[in-house]
Amino acid sequence: MRALVRALRRAFALIRAFWAANLAEELQYRANLLASLLGTLFWMGTAVLTAAVFFRQSPTLGGWGFWEVVALLGVFNAVAGVVEAVLRPNIGRLVEHVRRGTMDLILARPIDAQFHVSFRRIVIWRATDVVLGFGLAGFALARLGRVPSLSELLAFALALAAAIAIVYAIWLGLMSMTFWFVAVENLEVLFDAVYEAARFPVSAYPGGLRFVFVYLLPIAWITTVPAGTLTGRISWTAALLAAGLAALALLATRLLWRAALKRYTSAGG
Amino acid sequence: MSLRDWARRYAALMRAGWLVDLQYRAAIVLWLILGVAQPLLMLAIWWGVAGTDEVQGYDRAAFARYFFALMFVDQLTLAWDVWYIDRWIREGEINFRLARPLNPIHEAIADNLAYKGKTGLAMAVVWLAVAAVWPAVRLPFEPGRWALAALAIALAAAIRFLTSYVTGLLAFWTTRATALYELHWGISLFLSGRIAPLSLLPPGVSAVAAVLWFPYMLAFPVEVLTGTVATTEELVRGFAWQLAWLALWSLAYRLVWRQGLKRYGAVGG
Repeated sequence: MRALVRALRRAFALIRAFWAANLAEELQYRANLLASLLGTLFWMGTAVLTAAVFFRQSPTLGGWGFWEVVALLGVFNAVAGVVEAVLRPNIGRLVEHVRRGTMDLILARPIDAQFHVSFRRIVIWRATDVVLGFGLAGFALARLGRVPSLSELLAFALALAAAIAIVYAIWLGLMSMTFWFVAVENLEVLFDAVYEAARFPVSAYPGGLRFVFVYLLPIAWITTVPAGTLTGRISWTAALLAAGLAALALLATRLLWRAALKRYTSAGG
Repeated sequence: MSLRDWARRYAALMRAGWLVDLQYRAAIVLWLILGVAQPLLMLAIWWGVAGTDEVQGYDRAAFARYFFALMFVDQLTLAWDVWYIDRWIREGEINFRLARPLNPIHEAIADNLAYKGKTGLAMAVVWLAVAAVWPAVRLPFEPGRWALAALAIALAAAIRFLTSYVTGLLAFWTTRATALYELHWGISLFLSGRIAPLSLLPPGVSAVAAVLWFPYMLAFPVEVLTGTVATTEELVRGFAWQLAWLALWSLAYRLVWRQGLKRYGAVGG
């Protein structure tokens, strides 16, 4: 237990050092904050309008009302913010590290390589997506006239943390493919394609797809479950299941990472 | 220059484009997957909304036909040029292109023809394969209408290409040309019929769309292909709008290209 605490504390200290250096760099480009804010507002607007187009023809989508779907879009945006701020600028570069051999430099460091590859950088401006996403979810809850109880908020926090862990595992799993197929360049496009599906509650999809999104491509756990806990549609049980799934996913990425590193022979190898 | 000279030039440029693409086969497949993900998703949601009933004349099969036609036409009218032109101008790659005795737009057009020949064929094969097992997406055999659709697709591709190319040329003045085109994309989600057939949008919105270029880049050829647009009057009106917008965007191209070159010479000279 004490070893775990020490490891965690060390991890947080490292992240702080990484991101402080990175922040100093990014703060030179403050105009990006405005561009990022406007971009986020625009895309959130199109997402809400898209939902509105469907709701013109139907009072519910998969049993969810309009504002429930808007709350889900808020969660979608917040998770997308984490992807853009942390996952894409880090794991997204794994392909480059492997192809150009800079992976050597990472392996030579006295810290865990998976950790370094995952958390070295942060694009702080994209944190606006997270903030505005929560804002949108909060606004939707207000329109629903719903104040989540403490227990629901806790379930939401757990489900959201699980969602982020699952997204992380998908990214690492996907990008690790580069250790086997060096030439594949824009693998993250596959994530983008599938993640689009998280804009709607899984119950809105036909039966076959619903099965796929719950069990095969775990889209349901990324937005439907956290948003559902927030609106009281989904119970604690689902949040606990999500946490269990996330733990399994993280364990799987660790095993995959070990197997992948065994394949790595450096650029000259 | 004679027609034969032009044919030879285009053959050479297309061959070059084809060979470049060959190096990125895996990347092209991934882009293709991303390209069809969004329409398929919209189809899935409409499928659920329509249920066993119909939505303003669209039942499940009609939605399936619409979105399959949309995926096909989208691949044939795809416009990525803004990213290229923006980079050509910002990084000076346009310099050696200007030194050639051929306007760079011909290289871009030839690349488009080479790429779309491949992806269009791939989409057609996939569509045929799906139609073999899923009757909903079958189109009735009507060569006359297909010929009209081919013409509408060609005009749509030309308009969409010009929107992208001209926006790219704005890089002579601004570093945010690609951001501008993303904005254009966001609007086109609604106005060119990507989220729903235009008749399912609020009447005010589809009326505005009808006089802009958006539906003539995608929705119009799609509806010619599926047979939704069938009366002579509708066809004439649609083709007239296509020609009008093609003329206007060609004019915009001339203007922006000439002024841009002047400015570019002034900055670099």
